[in-house]
Amino acid sequence: MVELERLKQELKRVNAEYAGIRDIVAEQRAEFGRRINEKKMAILAKIAEAEKAALDAEVQAIDITAFTAPNEPVPEVYTQDNGSSHPLTTEIDRVCEIYQMMGFDVVESRQLDDEYHMFDSLNFAKGHPARDGYDTFRTEEGLIPPAHTSTMQHRVLKKYKDKLARGENIAVVVPGRVHRNEDVDATHEHTFYQCEGVYVSKDCNMGQMLGILREFFEKYYEQKLEIRTQPGYFPFTEPSLEFMIEKPRSLGGKKGDFLEMLGCGMIHPNVLKMAGIDPNEYHGFAWGGGMDRLVMLRYGLKDVRYFESGKLNFLREF
Amino acid sequence: MRISLNWLKKYVNVKVSDEELVRLIGARLVEVEGVIDETHKYDNIYIVRVEKVEEIPDTHLTLCQINVGDVEVSKVEKNAEGLVQVVCGAPNVCEGMLAVWIAPGAVVPASVNEDAPFVIGKRKMLGKYESNGMLAGADELDFDDKHEKIAEINPAVAKPGDSLADVFELNDKILDIENKSLTHRPDCFGMIGFAREVAGILGLAFETSHFGHTQGRSAELTVLNEAFPNAIKISIEPSICARYTAIILEKHGELKQKYLTWQDTILAKSGMRPVDPVVNATNYLMLLTGQPLHAFDYDKFVAVGGKEKPEINVRLAKPGEELVLLDDKEIELNENDIVIASGEVPVALAGAMGGKSTEIDENTRNIILESATFSLYNLRKTQMAHGIFSEAITRFTKGQPPYQTLAVAEECAKMLSDGFKVAAVADKYPKSEETIVVKITTEEINNLLGTEYDKDLIVKTLENVEFAVKENGDLLEVTTPAWRTDIHIKEDIIEEVGRLLGYDNILPTLPLHQTAEPNKMWEFKKQIRGIMRRLGANELLTYSFVSGKLLEKAGQDPRNSYKIVNSISPELQYIRQSIVPSLLEKAYVNQKIPFDKFALYEINKVYQKAWGMDFEDVPVEKMQMGMVLAERKNTGTAYYKTKKYAEELLKELYISAKFLPLKGDLAVSKPFEPKRSAEIITEDGEVLGVVGEFKNSVRLNFKLAEYLAGFEFDIDKLIEKANGKKEIYLGEIEKRDLTVKTTGTYEEVIEKIEKVLVKNNVVAEITPISIYQPIGIKEKSISVHLDFHGKIDNTLMQELEKI
Repeated sequence: MVELERLKQELKRVNAEYAGIRDIVAEQRAEFGRRINEKKMAILAKIAEAEKAALDAEVQAIDITAFTAPNEPVPEVYTQDNGSSHPLTTEIDRVCEIYQMMGFDVVESRQLDDEYHMFDSLNFAKGHPARDGYDTFRTEEGLIPPAHTSTMQHRVLKKYKDKLARGENIAVVVPGRVHRNEDVDATHEHTFYQCEGVYVSKDCNMGQMLGILREFFEKYYEQKLEIRTQPGYFPFTEPSLEFMIEKPRSLGGKKGDFLEMLGCGMIHPNVLKMAGIDPNEYHGFAWGGGMDRLVMLRYGLKDVRYFESGKLNFLREF
Repeated sequence: MRISLNWLKKYVNVKVSDEELVRLIGARLVEVEGVIDETHKYDNIYIVRVEKVEEIPDTHLTLCQINVGDVEVSKVEKNAEGLVQVVCGAPNVCEGMLAVWIAPGAVVPASVNEDAPFVIGKRKMLGKYESNGMLAGADELDFDDKHEKIAEINPAVAKPGDSLADVFELNDKILDIENKSLTHRPDCFGMIGFAREVAGILGLAFETSHFGHTQGRSAELTVLNEAFPNAIKISIEPSICARYTAIILEKHGELKQKYLTWQDTILAKSGMRPVDPVVNATNYLMLLTGQPLHAFDYDKFVAVGGKEKPEINVRLAKPGEELVLLDDKEIELNENDIVIASGEVPVALAGAMGGKSTEIDENTRNIILESATFSLYNLRKTQMAHGIFSEAITRFTKGQPPYQTLAVAEECAKMLSDGFKVAAVADKYPKSEETIVVKITTEEINNLLGTEYDKDLIVKTLENVEFAVKENGDLLEVTTPAWRTDIHIKEDIIEEVGRLLGYDNILPTLPLHQTAEPNKMWEFKKQIRGIMRRLGANELLTYSFVSGKLLEKAGQDPRNSYKIVNSISPELQYIRQSIVPSLLEKAYVNQKIPFDKFALYEINKVYQKAWGMDFEDVPVEKMQMGMVLAERKNTGTAYYKTKKYAEELLKELYISAKFLPLKGDLAVSKPFEPKRSAEIITEDGEVLGVVGEFKNSVRLNFKLAEYLAGFEFDIDKLIEKANGKKEIYLGEIEKRDLTVKTTGTYEEVIEKIEKVLVKNNVVAEITPISIYQPIGIKEKSISVHLDFHGKIDNTLMQELEKI
C-alpha cells in the first residue's frame, strides 16, 4: 500500500516534469518528451504490478490440508455423465491398440525437436527445396516443432537396433502431435496428429508393407478393403508411395471411392546407415499419416477446428 | 501443372481409354488432382471467312457477311450468296480474313466455368441489324485475357466451315497434376519427359531423339556470323550456374504474329497466356522440354552494361544492389540471389524473372536468348525471399539438369527464324555431368519389392524410358540418361521397376514377428483418462502455441518459453510452459457459452527454457496434466473440490501423498495463489504437482467467475510413484464418529489421531464428515468417521476424544 502511494506520487512528479517541455529548445523537445514518456511508462507498469499485488494481498489463507472450509458441505466430484474423453486421444488409442495387436511397440513423438531429427537424419539434403514442403515453424534457437512424426524415425531405429542383433525385427508405431505453418480452415489445422510406423528386418519387402497397412485398415474399419497406391516422393524412403484405401461402407463409401490415408515407402539406405544399421544386411519400411481426418471420417465431423476448440458442446458428445 | 492429353498423345501412342490412362498415370507416375473435361468446350464454333464488311454509320460497329462453309445452324438464315450476317465491333475485322465464329446456341468458351455460362444468340442490334452469333476474340475463346481484336486464323491451316476444335485439337482433357509429388523429377516438368514416363507406364519404348532432342552438345563456342566477332563474353560461377548458353538473334523480318496459333492454344491449356511471339516461343519450349529460356533485348543489354559487346556475368548479388523486375516490382537483392549482370550491372534475377531494363518490346532489333541452369538451393531461397512463383522458377527449383540448354535454345531460334536469324552462339559448360551407372541384380529388385519379375521384363521396362541396360550375367549395369538426376543408388532403380510395372501388382503379405512391449506412459495416460471421465471431468486438447499475453496473464515469464519466429499470429508465438494457462482460457470460452460448472483437463507435453537440454541436445520435455475447475454460481471454496479431484485421482493410481504449503516458485505454480494452494508431495519428499485456487489477478485477467481452482501434475513422477499395491481388509469393522475441537489444521488433527491409533496398535480408515466453526469463534469442530479394523474398546475412543 505504502509502495503504491509512493509510486503515485512519483507519477505526479514526472507529469509535472513534463510541463517543463515549454522551456526546452525546439530541437531537443522530441528527445525530452521521449525520455519523460519512458519514465512514465516504467512507473505505470510498476503501479499495475503494485495494484495486482494489493489485490492478491487481500486473499485470506485457508487450511490447505482440510477437506472443506468451515461450515461448507464436503465437496463432491461431478457425476460421471458430465465426463468425456477427447475423440482424438480415444481414437489414437484405438489405432495404437490395433498396431500393438499386430506386434508393434508404441513410442510417443516429441513436440519440439531439432533440424537434425526433422530433416538431416531423414536424408533431406541441406538447403534442399523438399524441406519447404513441410511449412515448418522455427524457434529463435532454430528448433522445430516437428511437422511430421518421422522426426522420431532416427531415434526409433537407434533405440531398437539391438533387437536386430538378437534376430528380432524392429516394429514400432509413433503417434504424436505435429505442427505446420498453415492457414486454418475447416480442413486445415496448424496443429494436428499423425501416426508413424517403422519396420526393419533382414528380408522385409514392399509386399509386406502393403500387407501390414491393409491389415491395419481392415481391422480399424472392421471390413475387407481394396487398397491402391500411387508414386510419391519423400527423401527418406525409396521407393516412396501414397497409400489409399477404398472408402469403407460404414462411412458411406461406394465402389471406386478411394481415400488417401498415408505416405509410405522402403526406408532409404542413408537413413538406416545414419542410425548405424547396415543397409546391405537390413531393409525397412515406414509410413506416416494424419489422425485427425481418420477421426473426422469416423464420426462424420465437418470441421477439424472442433478438436482444439475446447468447447464443451463438442467435447461432451464423446 | 497442367497436361493436355491431346498434346501428350502426339508423343505417345496411347491405346487405352482416357479413364484408364488417367488411372495409370495416378497409380504409376504422379497424383492427378483432377481432370478438366474440355471435349465440348468448343462445340459449334467454326472457322469462317469474312466476305463483306460495311460500316454502320455513327457507331464503331460493322455489318459483316461471313462465309461459314457448309455449316448449317438451326434458325440461322443464309442470304442469297449463302453468307451469314454478323455485327462486329473489332477494329481488325476486314474482308478476306479467316475469323472464328461462335454460332448461335454455342457457349462462349471463356464463360464455361462461370455459374451461368454465356450462350450466344441471334439478335437485332440497334433495332434493325440482325446479328447471328459473334466473331470471337482470343479472350472469348479463353486463350488470352486481352480484349483487343478478333482472332485471325492462318489460311494455310484451315478453311471456312472447319470446326475450330478440329483445327487446333481442342476437344481435349486436361490433367491437373500435383507438383509436390514430382519434386525430384525435373524431367517431368516438360511434355517430352512426361510423355516418356507415360510410354514407360504403358509398356511402350520412347525415343527422345525422335523429337529432335539430343543428350547435349560439346562445350565449344560457335560463332555463326561475322557481324558479331567474339560476340559474347560469358563468365559464370560453376557452383551457382552449371551451364550458360546464349544465342544472339538478329532481326531480319517480321514474325507472323497476327494469327492465332496451335502453340497459343497449348500455352492456354497449360495455364499460361500469350505475351508476344518471342516470349511465346520461349514459354512453349519450356512447357515442352522443362528448360526455361529468357530473352533479353540485346541493345538494351549492351547499353546498360556500358560495354561495346555484351558481357554476361552470372554471379551472386552484392548487398545493397537493387533490381526492377519485369512486373515493375523493385526488389533489394540479397547475397544469396543469383543475378545476370551486364558487365557489372544486374539486369535479371536468374531463374526467377527478367529485369525491366532489358525487356524486349516492339522496337527490339536483336535478342540474347538465354538457356541456362542455376543452383536450385539458391533459387529456393530467392523464391522465398522475393515471393516469386513463376513457371520458370518452379522448374529450376526441381534442379533442371544442364544437358539440353543448347538444344533447346537452338530449337527456339528455329521457331523464331521468320523474324530472326542466328548471329552467334555461345555455350559455357565447364564441367559436363558424370554418367551414373548402377549395378543391380533382378534378385535384389524382386527381394525389395516382394515380386517375381523376370529379367527380360525388368530390362525392357528400364529401356522403355531410355535407361541403357547392359546384362553381365546376373548383374544389370544400368546407365541413367542425362535427365534422370534423381537416380543414384540401387533403390532408385528398384523404384523405377516397381513403379512402372505398377505397385498395385505387388501382392500384400504379412510378415511373422515377435510380440510388442507395452508402453508404460501410454497405458498410464489411458488409465488417467478413464478415471477422469468417471470423475465427470472433460478431456481437452489445446494448442501447444500460446500468446505472450496469455503467459503474462497466468503470471509466467515469456522469456522462459521457446519463441516461434515465423508464427501464424501473435496468438501462437510461444511454446507453453504448463497446461493450466491454456485451460483457463478455455474455461472462459465455456463459461461464456454458458456452461455453469465443469472440470477441464488435458495431458500433453510442455517445454521450458529453464529445463535446458537433454542428452540428445534437444529441449527437455515433460508430460504434464493440468485441470481447471470452474463454476459460475457457487460461492463456496473451490480449492476443496479441486483437491478432492486430485485425491481421487491419486487414490485410483495407488499413490499416497500429502498436501503441504506451496513453497516453490516454479513456472508451473505461478498462476496459483500461495495462501490457497498446496504442493502435492510424496512421503519421500518428491513434488508431484500443485493444486489450488488462482491468484485474484490471474482470475480477473482471464475474466473468470470466483469459484475457480485447478491443479497440474508431472506425469513422469506419477508413473514413478504409482505402485499398484493396495492392502485389502476383509474383517469386521466397527464404525465410530469423532469430533475434535481445534484451532490448528485438519492435518494436525489427523496426525494426532494416527498417533493414538499407532500407540494402541489399531488400524482405522478415516473419512471426513464436517467442519463447523461458529462466526466470531477461533475454534472449529472437525468431525470424522472412523472405520476400525476389528472391535475396539471405549478407552480408545475416550483417548481420541481428548485430542
